[in-house]
Amino acid sequence: MEQLSSAIGTALALLFSGNNDLWEIVGISFRVSFIAILAATPPALLAAFALAYLRFPGRRLLISINSTLLSVPAVVVGLTLYILLSRQGPLGEWKLLFTQTAMVLGQIALAFPILAAMAHSSLQAVDKRAWETARTLGASPLRALLTLMHEARFGLLAALLAAFGRIIAEVGASMMLGGNILHYTRNIPTAIALETSKGEFAQGIALGIVLLTLAFTLNALLQNFQGRGQPVT
Amino acid sequence: MKTATHLRLLHLDKRFGKRLVLKDIGLQLDAGEIILLCGPNGAGKSTLLRILGGLEKPERADIAIADDELRSWRHCRKRLLAETLYLHQHPYMFDGSVRYNLAYALPGKLDRQTRRERVDQALAWGGLEHLQDTAPKNLSGGERQRVSLARAWLRQPRILFLDEPTANLDQASRHLSLELLAPLKQTGMSMIIASHDAHHFAPLADRTLYLHERQLIGAQPIQDYYTASTEPDRSKRIRA
Repeated sequence: MEQLSSAIGTALALLFSGNNDLWEIVGISFRVSFIAILAATPPALLAAFALAYLRFPGRRLLISINSTLLSVPAVVVGLTLYILLSRQGPLGEWKLLFTQTAMVLGQIALAFPILAAMAHSSLQAVDKRAWETARTLGASPLRALLTLMHEARFGLLAALLAAFGRIIAEVGASMMLGGNILHYTRNIPTAIALETSKGEFAQGIALGIVLLTLAFTLNALLQNFQGRGQPVT
Repeated sequence: MKTATHLRLLHLDKRFGKRLVLKDIGLQLDAGEIILLCGPNGAGKSTLLRILGGLEKPERADIAIADDELRSWRHCRKRLLAETLYLHQHPYMFDGSVRYNLAYALPGKLDRQTRRERVDQALAWGGLEHLQDTAPKNLSGGERQRVSLARAWLRQPRILFLDEPTANLDQASRHLSLELLAPLKQTGMSMIIASHDAHHFAPLADRTLYLHERQLIGAQPIQDYYTASTEPDRSKRIRA
C-alpha cells in the first residue's frame, strides 16, 4: 500500500513538474492518433454513406465484414501490417516499420471499422426524405451529403470520439509497428507497458492518469452529444 | 397561340420487384397548367411524381422538358432535379430554424444580404414571419406544409409536384395551404397535385387524370369522378 501511494505521489509530481520525457510521450500519442483519425474519417464517412444510401451487390457482405473487423484485436491488426511492412513483406521497400507512419497506418486500420460502423448507423437513422429534400431543392450530391452529415452530426461526433478513444489507448499495434522507440515511437500505452514490466510504476501511473482524464473527457463529450441527439419530449 | 409545353412523358414503366405498378404511362403538362392526379391508395401516384421529380428510377421512360427532345429518364435526371420540385406528403424539415430551411432553397451563389432579403420575402409570402426562428419539431403539419410551399416559391421550379399536400391537415391549415397554391400558379409554374381530397383542388386544377390499374386515364371534368362515382372511362387513356 505504501509502495502504491508513493508511486502515485511520484506520478503526480511527474505530471505537474512538466517532466519532458513524459509530456513528449503524451505529445507523440496525440500526434499519431490525431493524424490517424483525420486520415480515417473521410473514407470511413464515404463508406458509411455508400452502405447506408446506395444499393449495390455485396453491400450486406461489406457490412458484415466491417462488423467483423470491429472485434479484431489490435495485435492482429499490428501483426498483419507488420508482415506487410517487414523487410521481406510486399511493402518492405517503403521502410516504414518502426516509424510513426507505421503506427498511423495501424491506427487507421483500427479506427476505420469503428467510424464506418457507427457513422453507418447514424446516417441510416436519418430520415430518407432528408436526402431527397436536399436533392429536389437543388443541392448537388456533395451538398446533399454534407446536409445529411449535418443532420447526423451528433452520431457522427460520437463515432469520432469513440474511434479516437480506441486508438489512443491501444497498445498491440503501436508496440509491433512502432517498436516503442524513446523520443520517436513511444506513446502512452507502450510506455505504460514498458515501465510496468520494469517495475517502474510512477511514470506508468502518470500516463495512466492522462489516459483516464482523456477517457473521461471523451465520454463526457459523448454523453453530451448523444443527449443532444435524443431530446426529451 | 400554341401553349408552351413544360413536360412530355412517354412509355413510363415502373416495377417494384415483380409487381408492375405503372405501365406505359404518358402525359403532357403545359406551362402554367395544374393537373390533379387522382387514384386509389397504392395506385402509384406518389411513384409517378417521384419519377418525374428525378427521385425514383423507372424501368423505362422518355421525357422532354420544355422544348427539348424526348430522352431517357437517365439522361434527363439532372435536369429534372434542377427544374422540378417534389414536395413530400409530410415535408421534411432540416434541423435548424424555419429561416434556415427557407434559405436552403436558395442558390449558393447569392450574397448574404440578398439571401436575407429573399428569405424575408418568403417568410412574408407564406405568413411565416412569427415562426422564423422556430425549430421544425415545434411546427404543426400545416405550418410545415406552408414552409415547404415557401421553399418552392423561393426556388421557382419550372414544375412543382405536390404529393397529398393537404392530407391530415385540419380545415384551417388546409385553407391556408391552398391559398398559397394560386399565387404559385400565377408565377407560371405548372403543377401536378396527387390527392385524395380532389374536391379541394377542383377550383385550381385545369384537368384531372386518374391512375387506375397501372395506367393513366381520364381528362374528364373532376365532378365526374366524385359525383357520379363511375368507373373511369378507359377509352380516354392519355398520350402525349
